[in-house]
Amino acid sequence: MAPKLDSHEKIYELLALAAAGALTPEEELLVARHRETCKKCSAEMERWRVLTGGLQRLPTPQPRAAVVERARAQAEARLTEEIEHRWQRAVIIFLVLYAWILTVVTWPIFRLITAGLLTRFGPGFNHSWFLFAAFTILVWATGGVAAVLLGRHRQQGRRMA
Amino acid sequence: MTWEASVGLESEVAQLRRGDPNALSALLMRYQNRLYRYLLRMVHEQAEAEDLFQQTWVRVAERIAQFDVRRNFEPWLFALARNLAIDHLRRVRPSSLDEPIGGAESDITVGDRLASSHRPVLDGILERERAGQLASALETLSVSYREVLTLRFEEEMKLEEIAEVLAIPLSTVKARLRRALEKMRETLESRYPDEDWKALN
Repeated sequence: MAPKLDSHEKIYELLALAAAGALTPEEELLVARHRETCKKCSAEMERWRVLTGGLQRLPTPQPRAAVVERARAQAEARLTEEIEHRWQRAVIIFLVLYAWILTVVTWPIFRLITAGLLTRFGPGFNHSWFLFAAFTILVWATGGVAAVLLGRHRQQGRRMA
Repeated sequence: MTWEASVGLESEVAQLRRGDPNALSALLMRYQNRLYRYLLRMVHEQAEAEDLFQQTWVRVAERIAQFDVRRNFEPWLFALARNLAIDHLRRVRPSSLDEPIGGAESDITVGDRLASSHRPVLDGILERERAGQLASALETLSVSYREVLTLRFEEEMKLEEIAEVLAIPLSTVKARLRRALEKMRETLESRYPDEDWKALN
């Protein structure tokens, strides 16, 4: 038969955790009540307390100032990179949206301007999807070249700084 | 942690999430000793602990955007440090991660063994020597016991926070804590059989 919750054996097993402050309020109460009448458990509890108290008072080793400074410098550099990556992601998302909007909005204007020229391919030439794809590639390629040039300019600026 | 300290910490974490390097410095200042102590307890070697200390702060800078502000920063920080330390130990000293003989579920406690042997327990040590003996005994324990002891008694974390750092259930934290204390006492008693700690309490 398993021992009762408030039996001496059960309480004795709880003493280490009691000294570590790791019992539930109910368990703490059981231990406190039992200790009032049990000298053996009281003495044992004191021993555990000496151990846990000793652990709490262990000297704290400190990192060298140079190590802390290096950690700060490395972490700050990484933080700056992360912020830049976040900014670049946001810019790319914006540019993609902007490019699509621009493509769709300028398409009718493009058709209007080039309508006369297209008849030169033949009187029945009307491959709208083919033209739209070509127009999109042209617009995005132009945007891509501009983005690369801007990126290089920015990198150069950073190197100079 | 006091209310002011808690609010200050939350504000620093929020600023760091926005990319403020001053907040990084403030957090580093706040946790430098505790984090270093924890890492040193984990790996023993000063040079390794220093390297892991730096890696942890770089990791903080990398991951702070993913930190859930509804959670506590402290367990998150120590969990980052722990993962790095465990990875390091796995690479450098894999045997140090082995569980000691006798799992957390063992029913035989040190108390039982002591009661049956009637040996005098932990007799007569000076306070100064005791700290050295404790630190030395702590070093002999396995990583899983060392970390639970240092998180509870040196970092003064709640059991729930320890469970979060170690990514284990609360009941396992309790079992491991108890087993670690027993192992610690067992080690002290076998090393210093004639000492009595009670006298110094």
